[in-house]
Amino acid sequence: MEASVRDELLRLFGSKLTREMVLNLETCSRCGLCTPACHAYASLSQPRYAPAYRAEVVRRVYKRHFTAQGRLLPALGEAKPLTDAALEELREAAYSCTGCRRCMVCCPFGVDTQQILSIAKLLLVGAQAEPEILAMLADVSIAKGENIDALKAGFLEGVKRLEAKVVERWRVQAGATPIPTEVEGADMLYVALAGAHSIIPAAAVFNAAGENWSLSFFEAVNFGAFVGDPAKTRRILDRIVHEARRLGVKEVCICECGTAVRVAKQLSGGQPFRVVSLTEVHARYLREGRIRVKKLPGSFTYHDPCQIARNGGVYDEPRLILGSIVEDFREMSPDPRYNWCCGGGGGLVAMGEETLDFRMRSSRVKADQMRESGADVVVTACENCHTQLDNINTHYGLGKDVKFLSSLLAEALTDR
Amino acid sequence: MATLTYIVLVPMTYLAVGVFAAGTLWRLAGLLRRPRLGLPLAVYPTQKPGWAYALADALLLPTVLRHNPVLWVALALFHLGLLALVLGHLELVADIPPLQAVPHAIFLGKGAVGLAMLLCLLYFFSRRLVSPTKDLSVPEDYLLLALFFLTVLFGSQMDWARNWYDYSTMSVNDYRAYLWSLVTLRPSIASVDGTGHTFMLVAHVLCADLLLMAFPFTKLMHAIFTFALNRIRRG
Repeated sequence: MEASVRDELLRLFGSKLTREMVLNLETCSRCGLCTPACHAYASLSQPRYAPAYRAEVVRRVYKRHFTAQGRLLPALGEAKPLTDAALEELREAAYSCTGCRRCMVCCPFGVDTQQILSIAKLLLVGAQAEPEILAMLADVSIAKGENIDALKAGFLEGVKRLEAKVVERWRVQAGATPIPTEVEGADMLYVALAGAHSIIPAAAVFNAAGENWSLSFFEAVNFGAFVGDPAKTRRILDRIVHEARRLGVKEVCICECGTAVRVAKQLSGGQPFRVVSLTEVHARYLREGRIRVKKLPGSFTYHDPCQIARNGGVYDEPRLILGSIVEDFREMSPDPRYNWCCGGGGGLVAMGEETLDFRMRSSRVKADQMRESGADVVVTACENCHTQLDNINTHYGLGKDVKFLSSLLAEALTDR
Repeated sequence: MATLTYIVLVPMTYLAVGVFAAGTLWRLAGLLRRPRLGLPLAVYPTQKPGWAYALADALLLPTVLRHNPVLWVALALFHLGLLALVLGHLELVADIPPLQAVPHAIFLGKGAVGLAMLLCLLYFFSRRLVSPTKDLSVPEDYLLLALFFLTVLFGSQMDWARNWYDYSTMSVNDYRAYLWSLVTLRPSIASVDGTGHTFMLVAHVLCADLLLMAFPFTKLMHAIFTFALNRIRRG
């Protein structure tokens, strides 16, 4: 690695050294208590998948370049200079962690491995060694934000096609404009994903609840966060923030995408609107009696998406929804804080086939949990989780249905 | 030998205390100079008041109790033992009447505290000999365990000698005279030099000095940082 490149990467490293980050880097005692907390370690029993091991890969570089001990006595903490080999180790560590933060629940200090690995991801971005697909997807999102006027006509044409589907299935609830867009002064801006499954059921429920809403031109998913690029993360989020401000909405509702919800909630502070997840909105409709639902047959379990539950605090809402629309609900984990990660977060699902083998091998414990729930249907409220759970279902031959919570609620809507 | 004894017991001890205090303050100041991230980083559900739960997390280690009860027992014994020994050393410097509200001999447990700590340290060491903890460990982890072990072993040997086999070559007053001379900046090792336990004392102080000097620059800082980090986790 050239000295100039290394200097630039170390500058990037230094930019991440906030007070919280230094605490994360300096406090681990390497007790190993986090080891069995990681689904990848629990499934594969390989030390390199222990959260503390992954964190140590970053910590060794930190020690060598940023601490007195690492400079004077590098052998003591196995401090390592930032080299191409170190970058390769950082890549493996960063992209075998889903950022679920389950390890944090078990750590006596609360060391945040996801935060530590955000350094690794940033260094990879700086070295242009990040996964190409994630960088490309992030760039496409940014380009869409910059050229939205040229893309609007095509988008609205697509919305018209979806409206027909909403009317076809939910004639009573659909209303005059099943999928409104560009509604100035709307109460809510709904930010969906680029897919009918993310728009049609949500539209049905919004209309049934009499919501004054507007569909965003942009997709919620933030590939900038997956790839660990703070600048891109901000630019992708800003498209939505600007749209929400232009329309003057009171709320921005983020669809079933865990990372999008967490990023929008974390980084949208100080705006004239509040950010909520679709699950929270749906629970509110039920609490306020704004929608009527029927009970659905079958047995159901719920997978708490890590970014929405453990890292966002939305635990009660999905249970309230399921309690209203199914007769037979079975908890997947006795304590939802300890629910196993699906194994698809942190950009792994978005990386597709490239990570499929690892995702399947590292999610054996999740497959066991799904199997042992005894439920016919696994419900979740995150796109990544849904894809990963569906892959697990197929790979391990579990014979379950995997459904979105919003789709299930839309199915349960009744006009009686 | 007398020179070496003097160097360890006097200048090196002053140096160790200085490095410990200045190093720790320097590390804390360095931390406080860093910008805040300013994002919520809690793990949910959060409970209020967050600071009280964070304090309980840092002091009672509930996550360890839940996931590894044996380790929790060892950690509790070790840290409580450490506290008892620190208090014992404070009482060795001078009479501290509030600490004698319940009258007791200086150094609680008649030698049992040191023994318990040594057993805990052996357990911690054994954990680091097997995977996966072995794969996480770095030389610093073993070195600190060794330093703790030797510090407690040599210190306890002097305690055991007085309590267990009546070898009172040095009395509490002898140790006190030495320590008080250090505190008052009139260092004298006359009361502890040239006795049957001088070697033990020198070895004990040498290891303790190294530990003190290592504190600000190693993972031992977790003793302070744990409060702040647990506070972040609790939101």
